[in-house]
Amino acid sequence: MTISIWRYSHLALAISSFFLLILASVTGIILAFEPVSANLQPYRVKHFDELRLAETLPVLRTAYPGITELSVNSQGFVQIKGSDDEGQELTAYVDPRNGRVLGKPVPQSAFFQWVTALHRSLFLHETGRFFIGLTSFLLLLITISGTILLIQRQRGVRRFFSRIAKDDSAQYYHVVLGRLSLIPIILIALSGTYLSLVRFELIDVSKHSPEVDFDAIKSAPLRKTSEFEIFKTTKLSAVESIAFPFSTDVEDYYTLKLKTAEIAVNQVTGEVLARADYPKAVSFTNLSLDLHTGRANSIWAIVLAVASVNILVFIYTGFAITLKRRSSRTKNKFTAEESKFVILVGSENGSTFRFAKAIHNQLLKAGEKSFISEMNNYGAFPKAAHLIVVTATYGLGDPPTSAAKFKAMIEEYPQQQSIHYSVLGFGSKAYPEFCKFAYDVNYLLSAQAWALSATDIHTVNDKSPQEFSLWAEAWSQQSGVQVTVAPECYSGYAGKMEKLQTRSNYPETTLPGESFTVSLKMRKRLPVKSGDLMAIYPLNDHRERLYSIGVIDGEIRLNVKLHEGGIGSSFLRQLKAGQMLKARIIVNKHFHFPKGAPEVLMISNGTGIAPFLGMINENSKHKPCHLYCGFREHASYERYRAYLDDSKAQSKLLSLYPAFSRETTKQYVSDLIERDADFIANLLKRGGVIMICGSLAMLKDVMDILEGICQSQTGKGISFYQSHNQVLTDCY
Amino acid sequence: MQKIYRTAFLLLLLTFAKPFASVAQDASKYKCMIQMTNYMGEGAYVVISLINGKGAYEKTLYVMGSDKQWYKTIKEWNKFYLKKPNVSAVTGASISGGDRSVKVIEIEKSKINAGYKLRFESAVEDKQYHVKDLEIPLTTEALAAKSEGSGYIRYVRFSPN
Repeated sequence: MTISIWRYSHLALAISSFFLLILASVTGIILAFEPVSANLQPYRVKHFDELRLAETLPVLRTAYPGITELSVNSQGFVQIKGSDDEGQELTAYVDPRNGRVLGKPVPQSAFFQWVTALHRSLFLHETGRFFIGLTSFLLLLITISGTILLIQRQRGVRRFFSRIAKDDSAQYYHVVLGRLSLIPIILIALSGTYLSLVRFELIDVSKHSPEVDFDAIKSAPLRKTSEFEIFKTTKLSAVESIAFPFSTDVEDYYTLKLKTAEIAVNQVTGEVLARADYPKAVSFTNLSLDLHTGRANSIWAIVLAVASVNILVFIYTGFAITLKRRSSRTKNKFTAEESKFVILVGSENGSTFRFAKAIHNQLLKAGEKSFISEMNNYGAFPKAAHLIVVTATYGLGDPPTSAAKFKAMIEEYPQQQSIHYSVLGFGSKAYPEFCKFAYDVNYLLSAQAWALSATDIHTVNDKSPQEFSLWAEAWSQQSGVQVTVAPECYSGYAGKMEKLQTRSNYPETTLPGESFTVSLKMRKRLPVKSGDLMAIYPLNDHRERLYSIGVIDGEIRLNVKLHEGGIGSSFLRQLKAGQMLKARIIVNKHFHFPKGAPEVLMISNGTGIAPFLGMINENSKHKPCHLYCGFREHASYERYRAYLDDSKAQSKLLSLYPAFSRETTKQYVSDLIERDADFIANLLKRGGVIMICGSLAMLKDVMDILEGICQSQTGKGISFYQSHNQVLTDCY
Repeated sequence: MQKIYRTAFLLLLLTFAKPFASVAQDASKYKCMIQMTNYMGEGAYVVISLINGKGAYEKTLYVMGSDKQWYKTIKEWNKFYLKKPNVSAVTGASISGGDRSVKVIEIEKSKINAGYKLRFESAVEDKQYHVKDLEIPLTTEALAAKSEGSGYIRYVRFSPN
């Protein structure tokens, strides 16, 4: 996978250069303030860019007969050197229009001199310069590899500036800052590298002085300096320095050092004696110096300082990401061949791996043989009884790097024995393709002859421990090995329990296999919605039982199926009106009544109807709602019938289709779905949401039918709608 | 009476003449132009020294290059400098390849045509050091001529200031 190569080189380059990069960045930040403070000096005169030599040279020569040199720095300050009337040396910034002294140049402060030397050569002279040049080149490579990683992450150049989901991770800042400071950092690295090449004479910037033919120098006609053609056409801003004739002798001439050429000018006639153009590399060197030091522009200098600060942030966040990723690595105690439990992980940056590792460790602690690896290492698992796939989704619903080969491998290695599989998807709902790859994997596994579903697919949004625990609970029940939210994934559940009062309970006549309803009074402000879950601890130990909540008229309604010997249902059955109950409310956001949806279709079987009863009650805006509910006998339906008919009369429920599996017309809820295929396909196309609550067996049947409907009528797989939150499931 | 006036006048004259005399009569100022070759590299450190008849350093006339950490690269002169480190009055910037620098140096008249020499010593970071980039006899003729250097200096010219 190419992404790994780039990521690997990005990291390797960073590791090999980070120490010098820190040094260069810190000194660079300090040095950025030199041009800023220099530019604050008021020595650049108005209309400096317009001034020509013919306007300024005669003025300066009259004002300072002892002038020997004039130089213009990158900030546009004009400095003269020479001697005054008393023969004392004179150095000053002057106004080029009238020769007025503006200020005295101060030599670079010892501090900046010291920092500059450190920045350029680490006080190691040539050796130091080499290493700094090399660091600069490495920074260039880091920037390039980083850009490629960023393009891959954003899924294309055109999406380069599309939104990045916000979170507080080091990765987020690494990526966002990388995008912002990409250009300044590339320019810093490129100019720094170029300047080093120049320094080591790998690029030829040697200048040649103009060759003056002294025999051809004419001493007539005498012209005024202000009439010299070359002085009239040359702007002061194009000049780096001018050497004035050393004496009045005609053989002494003006030497104009421009940014691109050196010109010798006869001091009597004003004719150009000779001209030597600099190589192009000289202009590049000047440009590189401007870009690298910010000497010409304070704003650019500040940009450079900010970019240097960013480099430091990159080093910090980059290593934070790496350490996190490293800590997720694990070594296996048991081989893939001998393990009963196989955990395969699709992780992009290692956070998913941490959760998977927590499961792995708990299995090992329970004395089980567990094997954990990347999804790409899928192979033959001859002793496996359980397969857990824990995966994230990358980019637009693609597999993460460590899972890229999974789809091909699963075809290659059909397992010889039945294996119970369970898929746990990690992702963030901030992305449009939430857990799409997990859904794909789940579907792929369900199609394998050897694969038996242990649990419904579970998704975990933003590493939510609650959502993880939902899966852990479901899987533990199926596998018989207790897995909980490990403290390393989730630092301590505060243990806040709600006190609820039993309002009514109708269990008396319930026989095992039948269901009963418990109503619980809750405190007024309890933030609970239909679709949330209630966890009870019937034996006051780690054993937790979860029930779907339906909220009707401000009361929590639980529909419970009585299992013979079931600790949860037995506990609930013996509750008497008025009795208090301690329970934990788990917000199950992904299964709330979808506010934004234009239409909602609810599918349930058995007690799975509970959250839907609450949602229908909640539907005061009369959103079109359709309920497909399956029961064994009419009798079970009868308990809800009055309520549902009433809701229909109030337009809270638009259509109601019950199915009975043990009556004369044996019908499952999936049969109704098949019957209404056209309607359901249209509903999905309109953006409607399908919610499914009930048993896993029902879910599998319904999903198979939905997949068929989607493929034939919408051209997209059901996983497309799942990842767009149009199919919500809560099954057990 | 006349004697007193004469003495007073003489004293007055001496009082005012003293500062001028040291400049106008004992020393003269020369503009010294150093033209560098187009060598590649950092700015050159150039030291102008007065050398006596025995070939020993007598006085530092000018130091071009302000960062003292590089003084040790101008090896021969540095030995002299370490004994008498007070040269701050005559320091300026180093000179880059191809550049020209014009400095005013002060030479005592008594040293001219008296067997003294002017030495131009040069060093560039990580490059060759020239103990006698240029050395000329301190004579009236030499101060009027153009003298070619052998290292980083192309030539040197003087003109009375």
